[in-house]
Amino acid sequence: MARDTSRLDTIRADRSELENHYIDELVSGSISRRQFVRRGAVIGMSASVLSAVLTACGGANNTSSTPASTGTTAGQPTKGGTLKLALQTPAGAINPLTISDAGGLCMLAQTGEFLAFDNNMALQLQPMLATSWKPNADGSMWTFSLRPGVKFHNGAALTADDVVYTFQQLADPKNTSNALSTFTGVLKPSGVVKVDASTVAFHLEAPNGNFPYLVSSDNYNAIIVPKGTDFAKWQSTFMGTGPFKLRSYSQNAGANFVANPDYWGGAPNLASTAFTFYASQQPQILALQGGQVDVIVQFVTQGAQSLLNNSSYNIIKLKSANHRELSMRNDMAPFTDPRVRQAIALALDRPGMVAALLSGDGVLGNDSPFSPKFPSTNTSAPQRAQDIAKAKQLLAAAGHPNGFSTTLTTEQYEEVPALAQVIAQAASKIGVTMKLKVETQTNYYGKSTYGNSDWLDAIVSLVDYGDRGVPNVFLEAPLTSGGPWNAAHFKNPTYDGLVKQYVASVDLQTQRTLAGKIETLLLNETPLVIPYFVDGLTATTANVHGVNPTSISAIYLKDAYKA
Amino acid sequence: MLIFILKRVGLGLITLWILSVIVFFAAQVLPGDPARAILGPLAAPSAVKALAHQLGTDQPVLTQYWHWISHFVRGNPGTSYQYRGAIGPLLTTALGNSLKLAAVAFVIVVPLGIIGGVVAALNVGKPIDRIISVFGLSATVIPEVVSGIILILVFGIALNILPISATAPPGASIGTQIYHLIMPAIPLVLILFGYIQQMARTGTVEALASDYARTATLKGLPRGVMIRRHILRNSLLPTITVIATQTGYLIGGLVLVETLFRYQGIGSLIFNAANSKDFPMLEAGVLVIGIVYMVATLAADIIYSLLNPRIRHRGIE
Amino acid sequence: MSIGAVPVESAGAVESELRGEFLRDLVHSKTFIAGACILGFWIFAAIFGNLLVPHDPLAQDLTGINKPPSLSHWFGTDQLGRDMFARVITGARDILITAPAATALGTALGTALGLVMGYFRGIVDDILGRFVEAFLALPLVVTGILGVIALGPSNGTLILVIGIVFTPLIARTVRAAVLLERELDYVSAARLRGEGALYIMFVEILPNVLAPIMVEFTVRLGYAVFTIVTLSFLGFGIPPPSSNWGLEISTNYGLVTAGYWWEVLFDALAIASLVVGVNMIANSIESELAP
Repeated sequence: MARDTSRLDTIRADRSELENHYIDELVSGSISRRQFVRRGAVIGMSASVLSAVLTACGGANNTSSTPASTGTTAGQPTKGGTLKLALQTPAGAINPLTISDAGGLCMLAQTGEFLAFDNNMALQLQPMLATSWKPNADGSMWTFSLRPGVKFHNGAALTADDVVYTFQQLADPKNTSNALSTFTGVLKPSGVVKVDASTVAFHLEAPNGNFPYLVSSDNYNAIIVPKGTDFAKWQSTFMGTGPFKLRSYSQNAGANFVANPDYWGGAPNLASTAFTFYASQQPQILALQGGQVDVIVQFVTQGAQSLLNNSSYNIIKLKSANHRELSMRNDMAPFTDPRVRQAIALALDRPGMVAALLSGDGVLGNDSPFSPKFPSTNTSAPQRAQDIAKAKQLLAAAGHPNGFSTTLTTEQYEEVPALAQVIAQAASKIGVTMKLKVETQTNYYGKSTYGNSDWLDAIVSLVDYGDRGVPNVFLEAPLTSGGPWNAAHFKNPTYDGLVKQYVASVDLQTQRTLAGKIETLLLNETPLVIPYFVDGLTATTANVHGVNPTSISAIYLKDAYKA
Repeated sequence: MLIFILKRVGLGLITLWILSVIVFFAAQVLPGDPARAILGPLAAPSAVKALAHQLGTDQPVLTQYWHWISHFVRGNPGTSYQYRGAIGPLLTTALGNSLKLAAVAFVIVVPLGIIGGVVAALNVGKPIDRIISVFGLSATVIPEVVSGIILILVFGIALNILPISATAPPGASIGTQIYHLIMPAIPLVLILFGYIQQMARTGTVEALASDYARTATLKGLPRGVMIRRHILRNSLLPTITVIATQTGYLIGGLVLVETLFRYQGIGSLIFNAANSKDFPMLEAGVLVIGIVYMVATLAADIIYSLLNPRIRHRGIE
Repeated sequence: MSIGAVPVESAGAVESELRGEFLRDLVHSKTFIAGACILGFWIFAAIFGNLLVPHDPLAQDLTGINKPPSLSHWFGTDQLGRDMFARVITGARDILITAPAATALGTALGTALGLVMGYFRGIVDDILGRFVEAFLALPLVVTGILGVIALGPSNGTLILVIGIVFTPLIARTVRAAVLLERELDYVSAARLRGEGALYIMFVEILPNVLAPIMVEFTVRLGYAVFTIVTLSFLGFGIPPPSSNWGLEISTNYGLVTAGYWWEVLFDALAIASLVVGVNMIANSIESELAP
């Protein structure tokens, strides 16, 4: 790799300590060019700086290593036309504060925009309503510069006041915001401060190296709305800054959007978009096959086999942190003994599960929430594989040579009941009998507090976790001693300490070292089993190009067009 | 007659009130917590608590009931917990959808059932009578899941001539909507056919044996004319009863067909409300079905007594 | 319902004679024989199915999922590679336990309620009648769903919920029969003898209204199967992994668009044959008892 040291030094002179740290890592080869771009973007290095560094290090100065959208280059984009999309029916009112479901968050993202955009297709955090951001030395304060010239759909200009209002509402415990699951312990309303008309500072409760992700499209509630917005009435206007404006929204039926000619990024290719809501997957597939829609925003492979390997359709696969957790009560016999928990984990045929339950559209899990998608994931931990003999041996050593009997409680959701049956079958191979209790989600989650929830109280519990941009929530809520979703009832001070360090760490090398320690600890203790990560899937007809889905089921259509 | 109607309405109101109490307390037993159901399993407990206070679900049970019923009788069914919006429009849309489906089913089944009944009656005891009756009675007990699945496999998948989703694309013409409703209506048709055919058969057999039929035959009235003039009218009467008694089933018992064919009617509305503990929605949905059922039964009784020649005859004497 | 008018003196003799005749007629009815054969087949399958089928209905084979019917798997395999033939045959078991149990419970409760309402009439009848009406205004499936959501799905819950749902329906029929009976001489005679209400209801009247109760039982049995299948399809029935026709259809239904028709068709046909069989028996009993 040809390296232009003098040019690199010139760039270094203007960079912060943290930015120089990443440049060092790139130069030393401890992170790849792609990871450098990704991490650099998080800490606010601009595209021009990133590409300057890459050029200085040799090779092409291409900052986005994968194309940002599908269909790639089928010539000049076609202008105009209506793109028809099938979407899961939003579960309730479209209220930016309360949305927590796939259909609802996709609606928010049609007209609303975030400070930053987690482009899953490019695996990169990109500027959106903020043009740049910077942490202070320890990552406890982050400053965002807003994009100039952005207008809401009503013509009003975007200012720091709107941003401050939005985040103060989201972080206010009184508002029952869904974003509190992200902001609790991270950001208080008083921590959001206007610096000047186009700059906002976030003073955090604790250092957080990944904070830009928490104000990005990953935190789907955080679309920027005009100051004074009544969130409960947002549904009637869909007031935002995005490339599309609301034409009509009809509860349980669908929504129509038209191009915003004044969009700061230039008018979109499409003249309009039309979403139809479906209560389940099957009719969406039929609608795509029947030509009533061009795109299925998100689907799972079960029942969609007819779309796969079919040249009439493009399938966009996104690596995701979406996973299933099998937790065993670490505080209840026989699972108090880590050898018993390891035995269950060793009984599973993970490649078989991915092949049969996900039609291969998934990645093996290694009993830690570090999905291969996260740059901080340490890949040095050995992948756990099926080993029946060792599992039996561990059970015998733990005093259960003839196995035991227990009950697995789970929810009716996607392939989860089938997974439960596969796990029970695997357990029976090492002499463990697992009776199944499959409940509706309402019954299973109950009040979602200890003592009032089968999810958190059952001796063995199997639950789904949706995708996130960073592993923080997965590391804390279900695994730390004080975590609110600790269904495994795992209490380990060493683990708690490692996670605290991980969350506070700002540079990737430290994060990766800590991730390695966490992964090893979790493999040894096995408080829970994560058999696989599920890919995010979007289907389009072959003539649709430029759609940009995210693995949390939103879809961005600014560059989309129908050939 | 007026006194009869007033008495029936009065009793109906008491029944509806009892129904509202039953559903209310049944809803209390349902597991889960409305605020939690709205915010999802991952929301913070403080948020859930605040929302519960906003919704009033942290109030004593009787207070909640009083609050709800005092608004309901004034024509305000309240706000859905799940949708955080007024129940009225949601309920009327869903009811409208269910009525459309029921209407398509009735348009198909009533003529078929009456023809089946009359043909069977004209051939009492012959194989054709036996075949129609056995088919009708068997079809009545076949769960909609079974007939629906077989229809989907044959007409939706193998032949691919009917859409397997009951919901037409938004903005579709009335014709397209009906086209989408044909397949979902057939399981209902199968279930109702047996009832109507039986009633029409009995009515026709009785009418054929009656004095005026005998007189008409003696007078030399052609058989076809007689069937059209007298018999059909008599076999229509019991059909009204069947329609009335099956209205409850048709309006609310559509849960299954609505689930199988992915249709947003009142059945699936109630089903979802029960699942997400959306108590105001559940109450309103159940009461609407109750009201429709009562009104239909009452209307049928009135029409029946007005049209029935025997009852009318007795009145004249 | 003229059976009830048997004179009290010779009731025993006439009844046994009638019963003999009734059974003779039944076995001569082709409908009854056909129905009994179908039901008999499924009872046999429920008891001995596990021994007869070529594969274990619970054994998964993740390398052979969604395979169409073949010589080794007559009905194909499901999404976990389990043998569909084995699952359909053994799927009869749960439903043949729950449906009769639920019907029996509903019949017992409904008979008791109907006797009380019909015998006491007046205010008791009016008040209970309102409750019965209120229940009847609700579609069966809706009541069933509410019950199962409240109690959590299990075989016991299904029996209880369907039993309770059937109670007012059966009570209505029994009440009508009792209203006719209570005017007859033998009831007045018993009353004059100073017998208690309970004695008159259960010892004097009950044997004379058994015919309509029996008809109700067989008719309701068909509906119990109907209701269990429906609730199972909606996800409120017997939990996995035990094979169960309704649940099987609901889990595999999403796969029909992928072309895996065998994963739902055979279950649907099994349900259809069972309900039709039960219904044939019910019809022949009904037409023998109330021609």
